[in-house]
Amino acid sequence: MGVLTARQKVLLARSFMLVVLLAALVVWALPVIWTLATSIKPRGDIFTVPPTLVFRPSIEHYQRALRFLGIVDGIVNSLIIAFFTVLMTLLVAVPAGYGYARTRFRFRKTLSFYTLFTQMAPQIGILIPFFLMINRAGLYDTYPSIILIHMTITVPISIWLMITYFETIPKEMEESAIVDGASRFGAFARIALPQVKGGVAVCSILAFIESWNEFLFVSTLAGRQTRTVQVAIFSFLTTEETMWGPFTATGVMIMAPVIVIALVAQKHIVKGLTFGAVKG
Amino acid sequence: MNPKRRQKNDGGASSSSIGNEESPKRRLSLAKGQQRFGFLMVTPSLVFLLVVFTFPLLALIGMSGFQMQLARPDADSWIGLANYVRMLSDARFWHSIRLTVIYTISTVVLQVAIGMLLAVALSANLAGKLRNLLRIVVLLPMITAPVVVGLVWRTLLLTQRYGLLDFVFIRLGFGTQPWLSDPSLALVSVIVIHTWQWTPFAFLVFLASLASVPEELYEAAMIDRASALQRFRYITVPILRPAIVIVIIIRVMVALRAFAAIFSATGGGPGTATEILNLFAYRTAFTAFNLGYGATLGTTLLVITTVTSFVFFRLRSADQQ
Repeated sequence: MGVLTARQKVLLARSFMLVVLLAALVVWALPVIWTLATSIKPRGDIFTVPPTLVFRPSIEHYQRALRFLGIVDGIVNSLIIAFFTVLMTLLVAVPAGYGYARTRFRFRKTLSFYTLFTQMAPQIGILIPFFLMINRAGLYDTYPSIILIHMTITVPISIWLMITYFETIPKEMEESAIVDGASRFGAFARIALPQVKGGVAVCSILAFIESWNEFLFVSTLAGRQTRTVQVAIFSFLTTEETMWGPFTATGVMIMAPVIVIALVAQKHIVKGLTFGAVKG
Repeated sequence: MNPKRRQKNDGGASSSSIGNEESPKRRLSLAKGQQRFGFLMVTPSLVFLLVVFTFPLLALIGMSGFQMQLARPDADSWIGLANYVRMLSDARFWHSIRLTVIYTISTVVLQVAIGMLLAVALSANLAGKLRNLLRIVVLLPMITAPVVVGLVWRTLLLTQRYGLLDFVFIRLGFGTQPWLSDPSLALVSVIVIHTWQWTPFAFLVFLASLASVPEELYEAAMIDRASALQRFRYITVPILRPAIVIVIIIRVMVALRAFAAIFSATGGGPGTATEILNLFAYRTAFTAFNLGYGATLGTTLLVITTVTSFVFFRLRSADQQ
């Protein structure tokens, strides 16, 4: 419009953008903050119109949630499964990443492409036959079956992450170590591996989050013994009276470890989450 | 000269030339050892993927030819393509395909559009604190378990009268809405939930992509009196183009297998109102325990994702040339 000077136009555009950004901030933060707030509201302040904003914080819902059958067990199960998923993923993916990045062997291209392809497959397609096999093999409701299927999510991406990390370090040190008599594996373990600690950290964090947050697989493969907290949280919502207090308390307990990791290792998380779409 | 000696003398100063100076014979033996070593390093992952990935997928395709009930292993019977014939005449299947298309396209378009708007807005605003805060806040949805996201939306945000979002709607004068119990509104809700959770991905990718744009490009455009719209159209979009393509590819693949958030928010309902193909396959296999027909639907989803990714990668490599 002719009425506005160029300066005013810029100012107007800037303030519009600022409003958009503030709106985004609210939209993304509020559901999480609201979950936290609800989890520490006294029971009487949860179902109110308008929503209660000022209240005396209480930890009653956490106490109640932790007394609930299945929640503590669920947290323990989630931790066990996530821990071993991370461990096994690293054991399988780190050497593979090194192999693809550093050596040339027959079918290397085909095999690495195959690894990439495995990421694309819909999980339900793996789950249905896996479920049948696990059941008929009598392995239903066991940790190894769940850890194994969680690794289908974490292993391919970890291999690809490790390939890019190994490719960024110079090979000369490994080469001279081999010339000096080190075995190839020794060069990998003692020389290359210490240089890709960052990559191993990204893989571990990502694998932990994937396994900890996973729902489809555990909802079908975990029974009474191995049920994770992701499944156990449903017990607050199936009853007549929806227990928002213990439900949100459990929700916060599920989010907490991941958010702590995100705050401590923000760069690693961003790198892992956008891997494949952002270079470098 | 002994090759070991020679390399020591090199002192690693021009280390990149080591390989070239080696005698052909030695290089051959190194290469041979390398073949074996490399193969050994990747073998555990290959065994793993064969057992837990390829074998189940082949079994899935096999299962789709069976009439199969979990409870009665003795009653499995081979029925050839009957499951597929049944699927093609199953109205619920076509309904789920329609929903999958709507869900995938709308969530991906929204993620790309909103993510781009925000990335551009943030690049223009150099307020450091806001930038850093937003970069942390956008991580929250992405790292929260989808099942928790679905449940929080279903309860805290969308419950009629008591949900925060419904409360805002009432205050704004729109009245309370049956967010999850009205079929078409439920579809909108699950689309919004998915968009809420995953727009940060597009945003972060675009932000990283924009960070690589030299300031001078925009300054030159300003001097040439290019309007904001022109700058967006002729500078920002071309620069973001590769990022947009890869975001679309990744997000389509993720949307096709969306599960936990929909399952926990609506369970695929009301009725089958939010039952995309992935949920239909799940419900068939694990609620009705009809594994044969579930495998048929799973195979169909596998074919759809494989064909889609193949087409996308073809388009992408054509685009890059």
